[in-house]
Amino acid sequence: MLLSHRTRTDEFEAAAMPHINDIYRTAARLLGSATGPDDVVQDVYLQAWKSFGQFELGTNCRAWLFKILFHTVHHYRRKWLNVRMVKESGDILEQTATATPPLPERITDEELLAALAEVPQDYRAVVLLIDVEEFSYKETAGILDVPIGTVMSRLSRARKLLREKLAGVAQSYGIGRISQEGKSA
Amino acid sequence: MNRIQFGEGACEKTRKYLDSYISNELLVETNHEVLRHIENCPSCASEAEARVQLRTRLKAAVNAQSVPPELQARIREKIRNSRSKRWFSAGWGVWALATAAGLAICAGVWWNYSPEKMPALADRPAQNIYIQKVSASLAAVLKVGLGDHIHCSVFRRYPKDPPAVEKMETDLGPSYKGLLPVVRAAVPDGYRVIMAHQCSYAGRKFVHLTLQKGGDLLSLVIARKQPGESLNGLAPAFQSSGVPIYQSAAQRYQVAGFEAGNFLAYVVSDLRSKTNLQIAASLAPGVREFLMITSA
Repeated sequence: MLLSHRTRTDEFEAAAMPHINDIYRTAARLLGSATGPDDVVQDVYLQAWKSFGQFELGTNCRAWLFKILFHTVHHYRRKWLNVRMVKESGDILEQTATATPPLPERITDEELLAALAEVPQDYRAVVLLIDVEEFSYKETAGILDVPIGTVMSRLSRARKLLREKLAGVAQSYGIGRISQEGKSA
Repeated sequence: MNRIQFGEGACEKTRKYLDSYISNELLVETNHEVLRHIENCPSCASEAEARVQLRTRLKAAVNAQSVPPELQARIREKIRNSRSKRWFSAGWGVWALATAAGLAICAGVWWNYSPEKMPALADRPAQNIYIQKVSASLAAVLKVGLGDHIHCSVFRRYPKDPPAVEKMETDLGPSYKGLLPVVRAAVPDGYRVIMAHQCSYAGRKFVHLTLQKGGDLLSLVIARKQPGESLNGLAPAFQSSGVPIYQSAAQRYQVAGFEAGNFLAYVVSDLRSKTNLQIAASLAPGVREFLMITSA
């Protein structure tokens, strides 16, 4: 029995551990500088280990871990940071459509990440899952427990917000003025 | 995912669908409409390129963050400690119950076991769906190797006798024919190269060698890196002569990967995890050295 349990531990580690770096980086970007991601990542893996009996081997372990990550981050933020979530109506976002200036080489990774940190968390989560982790819309909807339509609208708004923030940085370098979208035929 | 017909106001429609286009979430027909418009509209082409560039830079920036090397060890220790506490503190009743449950599960698995259904050799769309389904759990950078292995090695009829060395050298081309002796020298006894060529899958080019031993099939898949693509974001499973090797499982497949200059190399099979990793470890130093020379 101990042997079979050891096998279960090995199975868990083989399935879950290869994704630890992705989980860590996503946690870091979700939490920002206020909280270190180490404890959150540790909680995610301990929670996953406890629930491993419900996990079906051969199915998407990566998506399952990300789902646990988002539950854990939600819990952390409610507990420690009292964060207000973004309204789906998008009323905090201006609907001004902007064309995307080319990203200047001078913009550093730090500036990119700082711009990302300014995007509201619900939107940032979708960008991280789709643009960085390359999950599909359907997988992302499953991880965040929201409809696919919500994923699409959050992604669109998040990318737009990011472009606008980076356009501001680019302008400070004297590059790329924001223009109205849709001028071409 | 809707199909749309572009006509008047094509720029507006294209930009509306640009996010889904970049995420590869459009239906094939709509994707073609967007592509066709972009080919003829410099403004939308520039917009698409800028958005893709932002996505690539963002991915690279997030993945550049280093992860504390001791974190994984700390978590493994916590898991093993929690296991010991839980099991050694359990009474005989719990042990008996667990044994019974284990036996019941084994019986259920045995009773319900049925061989996996594979798409037919000629059914390309079904094969693509199968590849997407199988590789869903993998990190994106590992999907590259698995996709080509299944596409090119698994769904294939092999001749009874492998092609002559000269044919394989021709199919590999002058830059890569030197891989054949490198691979032959490093693989365990009994494996023979049954196919070696350059191929493409999902719009990407590969150098691909397939090896066989009895019923075991194994691929060495090599691709040039794309911007921001790296295995370094994963946790290495092994180091072979200083080369970090990363491995992950996707259903019945094992995908090991290592980097070599501008290349990503994968060893993919449905062998046991340990065996696949051992073969990758034995291939990695020689293949890496060969590819580093090719890169230069």
